[in-house]
Amino acid sequence: MSLNRRDFLKASAGASGSLLISLSLPGCAGLPTGYQEETGQWRPDAWLELTRDDRIFFTLARVEMGQGTYTGLTTLIAEELDVPPETIEQRFAPVADEYRNPLYNLQLTGGSTSVATSWEPLRTAGASARQMLVMAAARVWNVEAINCSTQEGRVVHPNGIDSMPYGKLVELASKEVIRGDVALKPRDQWKYIGKQNHRLDAELKSTGAPIYGIDVELPGMVHAVVTRSPRYGGKAREFNADSVRAMPGVLDVFEIERGIAVVADKYWRARKAQAALKVDWDYSEALGLSTADVFDSYSRAAKDEEGESERSEGDYGEAEASADQVVEAEYQQPYLAHATLEPMNATAWYRGDRMEVWAPTQGPDLARIAVARVTDLSPEDVTVNTTFLGGGFGRRLTQDYIEEVAAIAFRTDRPVKLIWSREEDTQHDLYRPAMLHRMKASLKQKDVTGWHHQIVGPQILNWYVRNAGPAQFPWTPKFLYDTLGTVGVWAEGLATPKDTSAIEGAVEYPYQVANIDIRHTHTDPGVPISYWRSVGYSHNGFAVETFMDELAHQAGDDPYRFRRRMLAQEPRYLAVLDRAARLGNWDSDVPDGRARGIAVVRSFGTYVAQVVEAGIENGAIRVYRVSAAVDCGQVINPRIVSDQIEGGILFGLTAALYGEITLEQGEVQQSNFHNYQLLRQYDKPEVAVDIVDSRAEPTGVGEPGVPPVIPALGNALFALTGKRQRTLPLKADA
Amino acid sequence: MAVSLMVNGMRHSLDVEGDTPLLWVLRDELGLKGTKFGCGVGLCGACTVNVNGEATRSCSIPVSAVAGDEVVTIEGLGGGDTTHALQHAWIEHGVPQCGYCQSGQIMSAAYLLANNPAPSRDEIVAAMTGNLCRCGTYTRIIEAVESVAASASSQTEGA
Repeated sequence: MSLNRRDFLKASAGASGSLLISLSLPGCAGLPTGYQEETGQWRPDAWLELTRDDRIFFTLARVEMGQGTYTGLTTLIAEELDVPPETIEQRFAPVADEYRNPLYNLQLTGGSTSVATSWEPLRTAGASARQMLVMAAARVWNVEAINCSTQEGRVVHPNGIDSMPYGKLVELASKEVIRGDVALKPRDQWKYIGKQNHRLDAELKSTGAPIYGIDVELPGMVHAVVTRSPRYGGKAREFNADSVRAMPGVLDVFEIERGIAVVADKYWRARKAQAALKVDWDYSEALGLSTADVFDSYSRAAKDEEGESERSEGDYGEAEASADQVVEAEYQQPYLAHATLEPMNATAWYRGDRMEVWAPTQGPDLARIAVARVTDLSPEDVTVNTTFLGGGFGRRLTQDYIEEVAAIAFRTDRPVKLIWSREEDTQHDLYRPAMLHRMKASLKQKDVTGWHHQIVGPQILNWYVRNAGPAQFPWTPKFLYDTLGTVGVWAEGLATPKDTSAIEGAVEYPYQVANIDIRHTHTDPGVPISYWRSVGYSHNGFAVETFMDELAHQAGDDPYRFRRRMLAQEPRYLAVLDRAARLGNWDSDVPDGRARGIAVVRSFGTYVAQVVEAGIENGAIRVYRVSAAVDCGQVINPRIVSDQIEGGILFGLTAALYGEITLEQGEVQQSNFHNYQLLRQYDKPEVAVDIVDSRAEPTGVGEPGVPPVIPALGNALFALTGKRQRTLPLKADA
Repeated sequence: MAVSLMVNGMRHSLDVEGDTPLLWVLRDELGLKGTKFGCGVGLCGACTVNVNGEATRSCSIPVSAVAGDEVVTIEGLGGGDTTHALQHAWIEHGVPQCGYCQSGQIMSAAYLLANNPAPSRDEIVAAMTGNLCRCGTYTRIIEAVESVAASASSQTEGA
């Protein structure tokens, strides 16, 4: 993204003479949120603060959930400020317009956008601070600023001998004015970008430091648990409040919107009391369907409505009419839980008509709305402190757990921590939607002449706007929150980007085919859904790349070369495909009992191709090796890129091998890691990651490792067994 | 009931209900938040601590069952203020992503190396397979454990 640097940079003197650099991102100006700056008035929550005692504070506007923003974004600042990244201290951002993600106009971390949206603004912040420090030093020494240099936190005199630490200069520097654009370092002078290989949070995370939401401890804190309706949407008719209230340590038992809360002095006492809680649920408005009903409803919808056209080129009907052969296939993917290892939790303290929340959340501004929604408070009365996240994967974009803790804290005169059990976390998640794909392709003389893809399933934004709409316009009266949520959907593309959650990964179909018809048949069975690492790409990637494999087989062609030929106009796709094929020894003999599969998916701007080598051992699928090539533009931290791609591969394999949430009369059947399994150390394949050395604008790596591995594994199993699996998860005995 | 415990070399006498899992005693009574809650039934390993020399899932053992025992948590692994060799290796190899499982991973690795200072790769994989990582840091976990095992064995050979 290209920004005019002068427009959004502000610098000033902060309290006790420190230098503050703050950025106002475009698109935020003029919103009457109460956060408007007065002329000459500087906020304490600047992005970058340099103090007189030589400390550097960087406010991290994106949360750290394992994806590496803590290190990556700090590296961008450090590079231009010319200090080692290790010397910068991080703060997690409070809720404020400046910290919004410009792509969503919300302060959220998701969509693999952190580096892409920070690349220019953060380097500019660092460079501006550095330039002001240099100007101040030049004034002190009475020399030309252009002849001064910087090195590791000091400005160096033109004589090359004298120098001054930044701390000595910050007060003077805050009065300097930069005219014109500040120059960014040329690539050949980078010390840390593309080279920084350490994670700045590794020590905290290897020593048991209390950095997660679940670790928050406050004076006089009490503990809450919530019993929710086993069927989504059920309401408590009655419950044995009095007998539970009489149990040891129990402080209160009451109903909240989402269930029955038990508050006790200790966590384990709350759990024991919860076990004695008996609730008579009214299911008259609850979800009562089973998984089979979901897919039946998808099949009916697919037949009844051809769906909205999402991409149309040429004339598919014509292509089919003149084809030698028409290939058809139907793919199904199940609901999936997020299963962050840190279960949902949050802590809240209601005092003096204000609510303070401590939470692992991907959307602190949404959290504020969530609190306001369930209390008498307005968003301005709510402070959100973001902690490190023990995994996110999209789960913590939805603030249901914060609504719960806020509702409980509002009735409790002490700070209260809410922790979900693993069973609650699995059964009351908002799931990656189950999806159905109907694919058709026309072949003429072995060439693909037409591609028809009908996607059947819900859109996630419909579930998400509830808090997102008001968070964008927090001055809205609360009685309009629900209306605003709906307007958010109507105004898609204005207040929010178009909801691509159902179609992404399908509409960007990259292969050269003359006649293309891609449609979305919208149908929502009412099962709660949300964003799940790689979102639409997670299911469309499987449908598209498996069907491409089927077509290669029908055309009697090698699946790699078949794709290759159809990507002639797409150099970045081609490059990763070729590199993955080479890394995965595509053309060499495969050991007995194994086979290879290939797939390539671009998601969130990043190109990833993978070759999977797999077999079947002792009646189970065994993945031996995954070879990945990735082009994410300019790399900030090669180690983190490779770790994220590998992590995405293992996340995708978990889905491919085990992932399935099923419903029986509205109740989720899985509960813990014995029946919702995650890939274990023993199952882990060897993973090799090849990163393309690119100068393109950087794109995200948090999600793009996930999509290709699922079809690549399925394609390998087809090569091994000759049986095509069109339903996930994959089976050894299909 | 009053329960006496030795945790990281300090004796504690605690007034807690005997069926409280050791995990919640460590976290909420003693303020040792490094030991994590993941599943509550011993399936994920995030709560792993060492009890009398054995790797133990603290989420599913009542505190009454470990009364009088010696418990070591991630905070006490290095012994006092020092950092254990495995923790150094974890930092050096950049193992953690979200980091939530890593206390348990390190405690399981420490138990392995205490009983088998030079494990084979297969032995490491087998010993670590009870610890789940949702971010997928498994490769670096093995590398970090191997680096500590290798340096221990080279020191032994040198001596």
